[in-house]
Amino acid sequence: MTGTATGTAQGDAPLLDVRDLRVDYDVAGAAGWRRRALTVVKGISFTIAPGETYGLVGESGSGKSTTGRAILRLADVSGGTILVDGQDVATLGRRTPLAYRRDVQAVYQDPAASLNPRHRAGRALTETLARHGLGDRDERRRRAAEAFEQVGLTTEHLTRYPSQMSGGQLQRVAIARALVLGPRLVVCDEAVSALDLSTQAQILSLLTDLQSASGVSYLFITHDLGVVRHVAHRVGVLRGGELVEQGETRQVLDHPRHEYTRSLLAASPASHPEGREERRAERAARRAVTARAATAGATTAQEAA
Amino acid sequence: MSNAVILDPADRSPAGAQARGVAQAWHRLRRQPSTLFAVVVVAVLVVVAVAAPLLAPYAPEATDFDAPLSGPTADHPLGTADLGQDLLSQLIYGARTALVVAGGSVLVAMLIGVPIGLVLGYKGGWYDRIGSRGLDIADALPGLMVGFVVIAILGRGMAVLVLAIGLVFCMNFARMTRAITLTERKKLYVESAHVSGLRERQIVFGQVLPNLAGPLAVQAAVFLGSAIKVEAALSFLGLGLGDDQPSWGGMLGVAAEHQADQPLMAVAPGIAILLTVLAFNLLGDGINDALSGRRTTGRRRTALLGRQRPPASPTLAEVRAAASAADGTADVAAVDAPPVATAPVGPGRAAADGDADDDRSDAAVLDVRDATIVADRPDGSTVTLVHGVSLRVRRGEILGLLGESGSGKSMLAKAVLGLLPPGVRLTGGSIRLNGTELAGCSERELRAVRGTGLGVVLQNPQANLSPVHTVGRQLVDVLRAHHPLSRRDARARAAELLDLVGVNDVQRRLDQYPYQFSGGMAQRVAIAIALAGEPDLLILDEATSALDVTTQSQVLDLVLDLRDRLGMAIVNITHDLGVAAETCDRVAVLYRGELVEVADVVDLFDRPQQPYTAALLAAHPTADADIDTHDTHHDSHHDSHHDAEVTA
Repeated sequence: MTGTATGTAQGDAPLLDVRDLRVDYDVAGAAGWRRRALTVVKGISFTIAPGETYGLVGESGSGKSTTGRAILRLADVSGGTILVDGQDVATLGRRTPLAYRRDVQAVYQDPAASLNPRHRAGRALTETLARHGLGDRDERRRRAAEAFEQVGLTTEHLTRYPSQMSGGQLQRVAIARALVLGPRLVVCDEAVSALDLSTQAQILSLLTDLQSASGVSYLFITHDLGVVRHVAHRVGVLRGGELVEQGETRQVLDHPRHEYTRSLLAASPASHPEGREERRAERAARRAVTARAATAGATTAQEAA
Repeated sequence: MSNAVILDPADRSPAGAQARGVAQAWHRLRRQPSTLFAVVVVAVLVVVAVAAPLLAPYAPEATDFDAPLSGPTADHPLGTADLGQDLLSQLIYGARTALVVAGGSVLVAMLIGVPIGLVLGYKGGWYDRIGSRGLDIADALPGLMVGFVVIAILGRGMAVLVLAIGLVFCMNFARMTRAITLTERKKLYVESAHVSGLRERQIVFGQVLPNLAGPLAVQAAVFLGSAIKVEAALSFLGLGLGDDQPSWGGMLGVAAEHQADQPLMAVAPGIAILLTVLAFNLLGDGINDALSGRRTTGRRRTALLGRQRPPASPTLAEVRAAASAADGTADVAAVDAPPVATAPVGPGRAAADGDADDDRSDAAVLDVRDATIVADRPDGSTVTLVHGVSLRVRRGEILGLLGESGSGKSMLAKAVLGLLPPGVRLTGGSIRLNGTELAGCSERELRAVRGTGLGVVLQNPQANLSPVHTVGRQLVDVLRAHHPLSRRDARARAAELLDLVGVNDVQRRLDQYPYQFSGGMAQRVAIAIALAGEPDLLILDEATSALDVTTQSQVLDLVLDLRDRLGMAIVNITHDLGVAAETCDRVAVLYRGELVEVADVVDLFDRPQQPYTAALLAAHPTADADIDTHDTHHDSHHDSHHDAEVTA
């Protein structure tokens, strides 16, 4: 993994610059007529440099996937800007330029669902290449085969159906599809969460190897602090649509400043049983404090009323 | 850690020697007698229709004025119609009409209905709201009336009939296509296609449409039968085809006119219609079964293939990875220290501290010996999923069952619970719960054991609670199944149980439905239900895998508290090393159906005895700081960062 962080110097212009991003979802009211907006992402800002991996951690409902979807232009942005290479893509309107699709790609959690069950694996790549007008038929096949080789698959896998491959192999196909266009940013949304431990390790090292070879940046969305520690150069902690803390991964995880980060770390299972009784006691104490704060808050509210 | 390359088990799969999906479906089709019958009838029908001029003894409209309404004779095996037309010939040519009209009208219906459904389902929003109301209105019109109107406006004839019946059916196709497209468009592969930059047209017709093929084929087969009925009805009423066109419905019409003189006339066309419609309906069912069957058996088959490969012969990469990992942990385990004596964590802990293989088998709540589980394969052979595994769990002890997918950990638990899926059997060994042999027990004996001796908590709490009953009702039902309690007492006990698992505001919560509970709270309810029978053994099957870390730690801490208070034995099945490290007293590692090693949790993490375990430990990315393997990565990052700053 040495040398994966070639472009993280602060002097570089960021590849991705998200400022005050806000995303609302329309939620249907009881009758289905009145709709109200639910703010899922509440004005977050972060940057990703070329060749850098930025980890976005948070629990379900924290808005981390929505942030990724907004960057992929799959969710409507209600406020703020998303600058990619200095160009704002939040205000592009309905149509997404093909060049943007080429630059920004995605790898999803469930590889089986992200590939069309009725298409052979290779078609996911050749079809994409064809859409972007890259090469003729043979050239596209060759590039697909190359991409498969790059991710550790053989040309034999090109003609297989998704149902004929394992989870690890499918995730490799998904990665090959994301990288075949030579993107500059890949949004990895829980890309290794559904995989077995040994497969997960392989895919993580594949991603870092590919990064050092091509200088691609990753936005790594995950709930797993262990994965983040392993792959991300910098990390942002999301809670309820707000970025409570961000910084160098090691800084944030070893010396968390925000209470929420601390409680997340306390809740994450450790790598070794040693000291678990102390951790359990600490968690219990932490919960007691939160509970007391909650009841105190409730009584103050009651008194105020 | 980055060097820890363990080969993905399925990566070693024999190069795609898999039968094509179509061939599989055909294979399955043949094994269903009713479908085979349907296929034969349809095939005969097609042959008769195509070869009608060769098969029919007379031209269908040829008249024989010597023998009108003759009844079966040597010249006319089925008799003749009112002008002496040969009924057999009419029947044969009628098959041609039936197939052309049915096929044509279903084609028309699909050509109109499927695109409408695709657009409505895919576009959603206002398109869908307005379009669906349009479909509702069209559906409210009686089908036959639509046929009458079309024929009244355009006149009689084959093409008009096809169009009329097609219009009757197209709304059904549109409706079904819309419904499936609505679910398909939310799937990740559609989103991925968007991200790839594919045009909407390409996504709708290239990506979504192929996934509709199965349901559409079923619907088409059923509608072919219905179309024949509608055609017969319209022709019977004299609205379908011209009188010169032989059709089964028209024959019935003539038969009805003359039923007093020649009652047998209606029999042949009646049977033809009956058989054809029946055949198409059976064919629809058959296709449906074959398609849905393919999904389940296909997955089973690949799962079986995965397990059939030779187990647990570590590859070079694995051994190397294990070796490097062993180096990493060497500092901790370098000294030849005696086994680390861990602090007792529960009432039963003292017993658990002893040697795992002492012979006081009575002390074990669960005693599994040499359990071997096999699955039957479709071709009659068997695959061994679990190879002679022996495990023991004592009171108050938490045994972790650690393994990756396909390791057989869940099958082992299912065997203990007596819930092995069909086609999977325990073929050897014994499973004793509190000394009682469970292997070979009848379903009834097992049921008695399951609630009181055994409790289980599964991964997805929402899926394991009934959505239509209140949480209180579900708890009360379980309690009353095990104890002779009145409703009121059971409810009081249910409230105690919910309180025990840390649910607040119990009385209100009892009357709520599972959807009103968050994931963590629902899992607490599932634990309460598992505890209702006061089990000696609680099995947690990936019980916290679907939960957020905060919720997971709460539920795990709850399990630890309950163990401390109630002292039951717990089997915690997990793929997560961290969960095992935080909760288990001993850990059993399973790999491809074999028990790799069983050890005290601290020993296992300090000194893994087997390369596989070591490799697993090495592959585990962890959130806590003191893992030296991460340093290389971060150092390199820091260095380069630093360099860049210096140069900048």
